[in-house]
Amino acid sequence: MQLADPVEMGTSSNSGTPATAAADVSKLQPLLSLRGMSKRFGSLQALSDVSVEIATGEIHCLLGENGAGKSTLCNLIFGVYKPDDGSMQFGGQDYRPAGPAAALTQGIAMVHQHFSLVPDLSVVDNLLLGQARGILKRAECAQRVRQLSEHYGLALDPFARIRDLSVGERQRVEIVKCLMREPRLLVLDEPTAVLLPAEIEGLLTVCQRVAAQGCGVVLVTHKLAEIKKVAHRVTVLRGGRVVATSNKPANEIDLLVRAMIQRDLAGLDASASAMFGELAEEADAGSAATTEKIDDEIVQINGLTVRDAEGVARLDNFTLIVNRGEIVGIAGVEGNGQSELAAVLSGMLTASDGRFFVASKNMTNRSPQEITATGVGVVPEDRHAVACVTGMSLAENLFLNRLDDFRHWGLLDRTALRDKARALMQEFDVRAAGPDIAFSSLSGGNQQKAVLGRELTTQGLVFLLAAQPTRGLDVGAVEAVYGQIRKACERGVGVLLISSELDELISIADRIVVLYRGRIMGHCVAHASERERIGAMMAGHVE
Amino acid sequence: MSVEMVAVFAGSSIRLAMPLLLSAAGELVSERAGVLNMSVEGMMLMGAFGGAMGSLYTGSPVLGLLIGIVAVIPVAALQAFLSNTLRANQIVTGIGINILVLGATTTAYRAILGSRSRTEIPGLDKWAPPFLGDIPWFGDAVFHQTWLLYAGLVVVAIAAWVMRYTALGLAVHAAGAEPRAVDKSGLSVTRIRYGAVFFTGFMSALAGCFLSIGDIHTFTEGMTNGGGYLALAAVIFGNWKIGRTVLACLFFGAATALQFQLPAMGINVPNALLIMLPYLMALLAVGGLVGRQSAPAYLTQAFVR
Repeated sequence: MQLADPVEMGTSSNSGTPATAAADVSKLQPLLSLRGMSKRFGSLQALSDVSVEIATGEIHCLLGENGAGKSTLCNLIFGVYKPDDGSMQFGGQDYRPAGPAAALTQGIAMVHQHFSLVPDLSVVDNLLLGQARGILKRAECAQRVRQLSEHYGLALDPFARIRDLSVGERQRVEIVKCLMREPRLLVLDEPTAVLLPAEIEGLLTVCQRVAAQGCGVVLVTHKLAEIKKVAHRVTVLRGGRVVATSNKPANEIDLLVRAMIQRDLAGLDASASAMFGELAEEADAGSAATTEKIDDEIVQINGLTVRDAEGVARLDNFTLIVNRGEIVGIAGVEGNGQSELAAVLSGMLTASDGRFFVASKNMTNRSPQEITATGVGVVPEDRHAVACVTGMSLAENLFLNRLDDFRHWGLLDRTALRDKARALMQEFDVRAAGPDIAFSSLSGGNQQKAVLGRELTTQGLVFLLAAQPTRGLDVGAVEAVYGQIRKACERGVGVLLISSELDELISIADRIVVLYRGRIMGHCVAHASERERIGAMMAGHVE
Repeated sequence: MSVEMVAVFAGSSIRLAMPLLLSAAGELVSERAGVLNMSVEGMMLMGAFGGAMGSLYTGSPVLGLLIGIVAVIPVAALQAFLSNTLRANQIVTGIGINILVLGATTTAYRAILGSRSRTEIPGLDKWAPPFLGDIPWFGDAVFHQTWLLYAGLVVVAIAAWVMRYTALGLAVHAAGAEPRAVDKSGLSVTRIRYGAVFFTGFMSALAGCFLSIGDIHTFTEGMTNGGGYLALAAVIFGNWKIGRTVLACLFFGAATALQFQLPAMGINVPNALLIMLPYLMALLAVGGLVGRQSAPAYLTQAFVR
């Protein structure tokens, strides 16, 4: 373990490093070396003076909070961005990719965080896109897919349409796409964020098999359990700098975490530490004690059903009661009806059947305005599309739903708006240069805190609907978001929390309901001992 | 209704459907790639004008056809540049181009031939496939057509095959369905879309020439008369599938042919209604009868990396 001073990076001799691990790694051939890489976007220094070495046959994990520069680093390697400074060597040669195409021809392949698949086309067609010339040889390609599937254990039907595949299967397509090029270096940018526990296992196995073939693997992740399982070496980034490296990560998890967030875990809120799977069990002991609530229902959902244009039920007969001061978690792999549930409850989608009541008032298929007026706060899943106007200022966004309160002789009283905004920014720890700054210039975490602040200060708030409120946020922001949600809960607000992060749900929610293909698969108490049961239900196994 | 009348009706339906079919096939490819060319109308008109003038001055309709195709290149280039490079609103630019072309061809036509000229222009030869043209009763009326009609069918068939079975077709398809995937696969979305718009230009030029030197051997001001818009409607009606688009074109062609057929059959319908018929059909088809639509996901959306 080396802490700080990135200049010494790459020199493997360090007295603090266990000799066995050092020998293990130094046996491997260096494949890609980055020296003094820097990248700036406008006023943001995304990376400064980063040096990393990746060897053949190595699984090299990049660890860091959001905004630490992990994705930027991957994109520099893959040629998406050009570095402002620094040099790269790949296989002993100078490597300066002009773009992703150049990286691919050199033998570097990348699985992006967001898939780039064409939903209308079959697996085979997606694999052939950009690869084939002239007449398409679909049968030949399908044969190759089957070979790779068998070799790496990636089950895949070559002629299935992408739109019919699950997220995990889509990711397998992306991986097969990379493997078909027989890469020398495989870069995976947060590949496990969208997967089921069982699928994560599968993916890690694939990584190990790929590395065993002599390919270098760069794995970006948040999850320490994964690092413990597969990483040969770990590089920790914070604020665009290398702050630590480890040649024996499995034994140094605590140190890595501290380097990553520059704080001791003990000082962190329990919900934040739940980000690191293994710690969840200790963390949730506290929340389990709070399951006893006064029986006082605030939201009643009766047989809510949503059908899409083709008549398929996206949400099927959903029935649930949320009490005052209670946090009900909705677990499930994304795309199993959570979005539809959130959209219906916030008035953005019409229910085909069923009803829901907020404070005994039937709010089914009412407008978002009416729903807000009954005291419902909504933190939508798609922050950029629904929750804010990125082109407007922070202050305007903070009071978007009640700009009328600041009317003064029919005009907007900007001074009052700014003052109130400053107070709200303070209360919810929204860090920005000032209330007039453009909303788009805020980091994701601060944007989300601002949205949450607005919704939690909704007049007469009785119910908060939060859909994936921590998606894309770093540990500090997650902590803040959950702290605020808890606080609201103590005030007697009922909370419906939709999240695909099971560990987070277990640590913060009182009860968990699992959605699978639009149906409720089961209910349970939010406790770590239920983790496997919930995982099974998320995968569609009925108990 | 006699056999002869049926034959004439079928023949004229096919003849009237052909320019729609050519431009709709071109437009379909472009829309598949994600670019909506409202300027199909303008491209057709420019093709018709270029073909007519080329044929008139060279005396050769084949050369005229080539000149018609060349004349559309700047129009297609303008549309491609505006919608891909400048990322302008495709509907607004398309309509702008249509107005521009209508003005330009009208002015040029009047400057060259005078305002009310009905100058006869050398037209493309007619041809009938062996045997089919010799079928008694309707062989002549149905199959004896401009050779461009048969050539056009071959071009449409080739285009459909390329779209289905080649890497190029796959790339075009993907450029409209998920351009980011195309970009990440190392292909250029911009190049694909430029190419697709030029293909629309080429097909529209053929359609325009079919009108001016294939069908009636003259040029009149604004002679496409909304044909480009009907082609756009045919693509929507065809749900972005080539087979259904062909049927839609035939349907619109038949509706146009009915204009001439109904009076001949002694059915008295106000002329204005008859002229309206194909457009009314298109409106009904697009508005009500089609049901679910599956347009390419990124149609009209400029690609920004």
